[in-house]
Amino acid sequence: MKAELTLSPNPIDEAALAKARSITDGMGAVVTFAGVVRDREGEAAITGIDYESFDDMARRQFELIFAEIEQRWPIESVRLAHRTGIVKVNEPSLWVEVVAAHRAEAFYACQFLIDQMKQRVPIWKKPIVT
Amino acid sequence: MKLTVRFWSYFADVAGCRDAAFEVEEGTTLGELHDQVCEQSPKLADARNSTLKAVGVDYQDDNFVLSDGDEISFFPPVQGG
Repeated sequence: MKAELTLSPNPIDEAALAKARSITDGMGAVVTFAGVVRDREGEAAITGIDYESFDDMARRQFELIFAEIEQRWPIESVRLAHRTGIVKVNEPSLWVEVVAAHRAEAFYACQFLIDQMKQRVPIWKKPIVT
Repeated sequence: MKLTVRFWSYFADVAGCRDAAFEVEEGTTLGELHDQVCEQSPKLADARNSTLKAVGVDYQDDNFVLSDGDEISFFPPVQGG
């Protein structure tokens, strides 16, 4: 399974990521997910979220999650981008793509990846309150 | 043994620093180090049960025996996405 991880303060360019997609002829499912910053955190109105990452450990934990995905489902590739630093409302902080032969495993793997990330990958957010 | 302790997210504010040097006896476990950290920063004791702990880039539990030069991280539950 190919895996590509980007942790960066640069904006996530969804169009560029889609354009860079590379899949083999036997693949029939491409699941993508974008997590976008909302304008509220609980009751508070916010203008954005400041993401802090323990980069080395985040990379290690993502590698472990990717390895688990490879063990569980026949996935051709996973690409994940997560912003660090300040992400404004309406901008994506997370982008995930899973490519597989069939949609079931692609959806399962995408959900698993995000669920595991939220439990294990050391990234924290600080809302920027208006 | 000399250890480096790193605090992440709001734990750094609570501890008053991002990094701290600790000197402990040989054979000290991660749980025992956590006790010492909580003694020095009592506010971190309030979050003790939800604190996540790593040595280097891997999660470890309280029974993990530390080694000289280890970098130990303490942090609150993660919030990626």
